[in-house]
Amino acid sequence: MRKQLSLKVGISGVRGIVGESLTPKIVARLASAFGTYIGQGQVLVGQDSRPSGTILKRAVLSGLLATGCQPVEVGILPIPTILFLTKEKKARGAVVVTASHNPPEWNGLKFIGSDGLYLHPAQVEEFLDIFHQGEFTYVSAERIKPGIQEKNAGETHLDKIISKLKVNTIRPRKLRVVADCANGAGAILLPQLLKELGCEFLVINDDLSGSFAHKSEPTPENLKELSRRVKEFKADLGLAQDVDADRLALVDEKGHPLGEDLTLALSVEQVLRRRKGPVVVNLSASMAIEEIAARFRVPVYRTKIGETNVVEMMLETGAVVGGEGNGGVIWPEIHPCRDSLTASGLILESLAETSQSLSEVAASFRKYHLVKEKFYCPAELAFRALVELRHRYQRENVSTLDGLKIIWPDSWIHLRASNTEPIIRLIAESRSAARSQKLIENFKLEIKKIIKRLG
Amino acid sequence: MKLLKLNISGVRGIVGQTITPELIIDFASAFGLMLPPGMVLVGRDSRKSGLMIQEAVIAALLSTGHEVINLGICPTPIVQYLVKVHRAVGAIAITAGHNPGDWNALNFLNKEGTYLNEFQGLEFLDIYHLGKFSHQKLKRIPTVINELNPEEIYFSWLLNKIKKEEISRAKFKVVVDPCNGAGSRLVDKFFSWLGCELIAINNEPSGYFPHDPEPRPRNAGEVASLVRATGGNIGFLLNSDASRVSLVTENGETLSEEYTLPVVASHYLKQDPGPVVTSLSTSRMIDEVARKFQVPLIRTRVGQSALIQAMIQEQASMAGEGSGGVAFKNFQLAFDAFIIMGLILEMMALEQKKLSDLIRPLPRYHLVKDKIICPPHRLHSLVAECRKLYPRAEINSLDGLHLSLKDCWVHIRASNTEPLVRIIAESPSAVRAQLEVDKVVSFLNRLLG
Repeated sequence: MRKQLSLKVGISGVRGIVGESLTPKIVARLASAFGTYIGQGQVLVGQDSRPSGTILKRAVLSGLLATGCQPVEVGILPIPTILFLTKEKKARGAVVVTASHNPPEWNGLKFIGSDGLYLHPAQVEEFLDIFHQGEFTYVSAERIKPGIQEKNAGETHLDKIISKLKVNTIRPRKLRVVADCANGAGAILLPQLLKELGCEFLVINDDLSGSFAHKSEPTPENLKELSRRVKEFKADLGLAQDVDADRLALVDEKGHPLGEDLTLALSVEQVLRRRKGPVVVNLSASMAIEEIAARFRVPVYRTKIGETNVVEMMLETGAVVGGEGNGGVIWPEIHPCRDSLTASGLILESLAETSQSLSEVAASFRKYHLVKEKFYCPAELAFRALVELRHRYQRENVSTLDGLKIIWPDSWIHLRASNTEPIIRLIAESRSAARSQKLIENFKLEIKKIIKRLG
Repeated sequence: MKLLKLNISGVRGIVGQTITPELIIDFASAFGLMLPPGMVLVGRDSRKSGLMIQEAVIAALLSTGHEVINLGICPTPIVQYLVKVHRAVGAIAITAGHNPGDWNALNFLNKEGTYLNEFQGLEFLDIYHLGKFSHQKLKRIPTVINELNPEEIYFSWLLNKIKKEEISRAKFKVVVDPCNGAGSRLVDKFFSWLGCELIAINNEPSGYFPHDPEPRPRNAGEVASLVRATGGNIGFLLNSDASRVSLVTENGETLSEEYTLPVVASHYLKQDPGPVVTSLSTSRMIDEVARKFQVPLIRTRVGQSALIQAMIQEQASMAGEGSGGVAFKNFQLAFDAFIIMGLILEMMALEQKKLSDLIRPLPRYHLVKDKIICPPHRLHSLVAECRKLYPRAEINSLDGLHLSLKDCWVHIRASNTEPLVRIIAESPSAVRAQLEVDKVVSFLNRLLG
């Protein structure tokens, strides 16, 4: 069997195994290509807590300096903070050394444009053309500009969030919070945010030495410690960031993990309470969003999976809030990106304003049951199976924006082939857990039959 | 033409053309692969490109599994001293010495703090040419230690080895031009510890070079007029990494960099009489000094690496060359501007003589240097062709072509650092030396068409 290649160069950046496929040389070449692409000017350089970041950051700095950019080192910071700062500081762009949820031996680079957004696919294509052509605009020695190191750069982001929240409502409640930072960069800012909001809090997994206490996705199975600590601390809620600090999951005061889709629902509701306007979510987000939007009489737009797609549609429609069902909340008042710090602020504000407990708030959304499943299927077969399914269900309400989504009056299923792995993902939602599970099982069986016939 | 010079002790080129992050990472990775596990020091001169190169070097060394002590802007001789203090397995000094500001270079140092010798250099190039820089997977957390003020431990060592009370008592007034190189600011500390009054120009390590960072009379005009205007006792010019010195007398006479070696030798050999190593291109003034002390004089190839290697082999007291770089056995095996300056002041203090008096016993020769730009692939064959010009001369071909004639010698060689043929002639007669150089230059120009 062919050895699996570990270097991934794609629209969301570059990832690889440090030392094996992601070498300092490749990283320096990528940074030189990026410097060539965006032109000379200030470029933010950030990193996550992975130890190999120390090595790769230096290769990034070298490539940027050689192409005449002035690197502004902001150190370990949450991804949303770096996106925010790129625009705030009017930088030409930013490079972040991070591999998000990949295992510790991985690392990677993400590239951000001057608007504080990830390069969109067309920009990535232009940038990668430069990388592949290998002709970089190295400047002569006298045009090399020494870099700057900025400490506490993240405070500007916190200041912005706090300035937009109803701090006078939140502070007097003295909410008790346990925060799980997943040993990610969120640990740099979340405790300070909680302090500013008058919370009494306990932080766990905030050590940034590069070892991870649990897998970084804030899914219920990874939140056992948080659940236990919430009960011990008699907290009003638990906040769980993912390692990039762009997604947020919640644990209620009884220690029950609430499911990431609820973070989005609660945040959307809180923003709409403040200001009505369009909502944008991806195809896989819960029906609860439509229900909330109906209450406020605002439209919901659905997009393909991927943060970039949601952000783009939000900017187009002038949405007041949006996000993804995986706990990625986007509040453009702060910055058009998924941000667990912003989401934490909105959730705390919602609890303070409604004076309900989180389990009571959650109960009103308990009627929806979202079930996720995935199984192995090569990309080519997956594509053909989805085409066939589409024909079979053409009389139903279907969307083919991204894979296949079939929508019934009070349930739906979304099937799509992964971009990065040979798997099919299924997500179903209905008003009963059993029914959602049944939907998944039925479709799984149906697809497998089709694959067997095609294969 | 893109300039890149590879030699056994380093790689040198023009920043942005050949000196790019990728190239630096390849070389530094090859060096890391050659070294045993352990700590590696990284220092640089003040060139603006130094930071870009330093980051690439550190990334490469960390990825070959080494710990790094980052010395920042630091003279090469201090890097060389600290290698031993820290028991490092090696070091990389990022400096192009006397080359103009658009150049830079990596200089590889072994665990003794000396430039790689011939054998280490060849092994290193083999690893580089093999091109397999497969890095190990990260086993532990990469460590970079930033050492601030690395000069302090060095100065406290050095100042115990020179007679600072005597120097201090002499109350010298010293004019120094570190050329905004790595020696800038450090000269303040150094001369204040020696109790000298200091007048320093171009004394910010900004990397902006007011003139080529090459210590020689052409660049010494400002120092000379300051010495005269302030009544200074001596003037010093340094190169960008503080490894070479040229001198200006109390009268404001700008001495050729060839004088540094014979002047300091006539003092140092009193404390440590023993063989002296120099290069084929260096002035015969040193022959006179060696004769006076009755010590052997050994001539070898040009460059710090070759000289230090010969110094070790011959158990010599000192090694130095006409560029103004000198190393002393009782101090360290490195060309070191601070030691040279200290010893010359010590000499003036102990002998209570002016610099112009100290150079008077040296024979007056006339040394003429010229150079011809030449495609790198023709360098050595052109040098060899020059044999035809001198059918009857005594020939030494250790480093290019060295010809001993009656009352004159001529050295024709390919530069280690640039695509140049260098032609040097020395004779008691200025006319004669110029004549020989002109003869070779016009011959080479004809060959180059």
